[in-house]
Amino acid sequence: MLKDITLGQYFPGNTVVHKLDPRTKILLVVVYIVGLFQANGWAGYAAVTGFTCLCTALSKIRPAAMFKGVKPMLFIIALTALLNIFYTQGTPILPGWIITWEGIARAVQMMLRIVLLISGTFLLTYTTSPIALTDGLELLMNPLKKLKVPVHEMTMMMSMALRFIPTLISETDKIMSAQKARGADFETGSLVKRAKALLPILVPLFVSAFKRADELAVAMESRCYHGGEGRTRLKQLRYQTRDWIALGAGALFLALMLVLKRFGL
Amino acid sequence: MKPVIEFDNVHFTYPGDELESLCGVSLSIEKGSFVAVLGHNGSGKSTLAKHMNAILVPDEGRVTVCGTDTADEEKILDVRRRVGMVFQNPDNQIVANVVEEDVAFAPENLGVEPAEIRRRVDAALRLVGMYEYRMHAPHLLSGGQKQRVAIAGIIAMQPEIIVLDEPTAMLDPQGRKEVVDTVYSLCRTKGMTVVFITHHMDECIAADRLIVMSNGRIAADGTPAEVFQNYGLMEREGLDVPETSRLLRDLRAAGMELEGEPLSVSDCAALIARELSTKRSQI
Repeated sequence: MLKDITLGQYFPGNTVVHKLDPRTKILLVVVYIVGLFQANGWAGYAAVTGFTCLCTALSKIRPAAMFKGVKPMLFIIALTALLNIFYTQGTPILPGWIITWEGIARAVQMMLRIVLLISGTFLLTYTTSPIALTDGLELLMNPLKKLKVPVHEMTMMMSMALRFIPTLISETDKIMSAQKARGADFETGSLVKRAKALLPILVPLFVSAFKRADELAVAMESRCYHGGEGRTRLKQLRYQTRDWIALGAGALFLALMLVLKRFGL
Repeated sequence: MKPVIEFDNVHFTYPGDELESLCGVSLSIEKGSFVAVLGHNGSGKSTLAKHMNAILVPDEGRVTVCGTDTADEEKILDVRRRVGMVFQNPDNQIVANVVEEDVAFAPENLGVEPAEIRRRVDAALRLVGMYEYRMHAPHLLSGGQKQRVAIAGIIAMQPEIIVLDEPTAMLDPQGRKEVVDTVYSLCRTKGMTVVFITHHMDECIAADRLIVMSNGRIAADGTPAEVFQNYGLMEREGLDVPETSRLLRDLRAAGMELEGEPLSVSDCAALIARELSTKRSQI
């Protein structure tokens, strides 16, 4: 069961979207989100939907995979839709009804907004490896170093966390089996009882995680790690022509969204 | 041969401990040699290793690496670049999500040019026979493979000495063999100085020198043949000796005169056969 946990799942591929510089993709997602929130009419939503479909098609990510990302959010989406249907003022669809035409329109738009928001960000993690993502983040946030923000340390911790997720998952599996062999019961009983049953897993897991952290720190120091200062990278990120084209497309998209907003479409 | 690491009357106690972990250790390790260190748990062998790259600094006495005192904070990076260290648990020393990124970690820290890092990473991975796995995720490799990646990560730093602190303790027999073979070939073909800490006697047989640690002191120091011949000491320390040494001791106790201490089965058999044939010709 623990094997199913996926954080920022990555589908390796060889498409234009995969090959884009991670910095470009992160910037595009920011532009995309800003653009999405400019939409307040049907034309605006149609434009964003079109842009999303185009990017998904280019990345060759199956629509089913996109839907899997949206699925855990279905409850929130449905709730937002319901609230919007019932709490929007306007012309009732039938005399005396609480549901209004405006309410239905808003509900559909809200649903679209959330689904598009999720799809856009998932497209980033689906097409970018975690390492590329942290590398891109570090480079993008580089200017913040002048403000004494520990950018290198933050991204180092992030990539380290990603590195140890599989290790800690298999460790949790082992501890669970060991506790089950001693008669621990994780599956039955009330919620409180089950939460309490997790304690004998968490304590050894934390102890071993701290021990690992300690050993890892010594191993890193032995390999001359001394912070981000004077560090070089094996893989240098370089902007290619396709990155400029993609950024241009992003700028056009944002401009279109602003124009549509201006005319209230 | 000139010494690359020198210990001069080193004393060390872990903070909060009453017993000294190292009590007056003096030794020098020669360039290009393969030094094995044996000892049971708590004998001070890991503490000894951690003094070699300034993870620990002596309370008393001095450790020098290629002439540099390890207590000198300014030169700590220089010492660590010269002395590479491989640890027991392969999972806790691999830092990256991809094999080649992990091997590149040390040269990246040292600020090596990207093209040169590429060259070093490829060379190091070829040397340990993990080149085909360079794009793999480390957590999907076997224990022996992970440990070889860790060794490659150290080689890419281009150290003069590699210290391995029980690198085989957590591995299955297959993984142990892979690691031991890799380390021996590094010393024999690349001329790298190796300090190999273990509690498996059989991994020490081919070493140039064998040091036995006991309660923070050096209990024995010599060629493996010399050390294994000291059967009484090895027994006191609770350490195994090769089957050949055991057989020779029993034969000597029974009155046979045998010269030398061959450690391979065939050499041992040849020695006994020779002795038997001279006996027969005397009769």
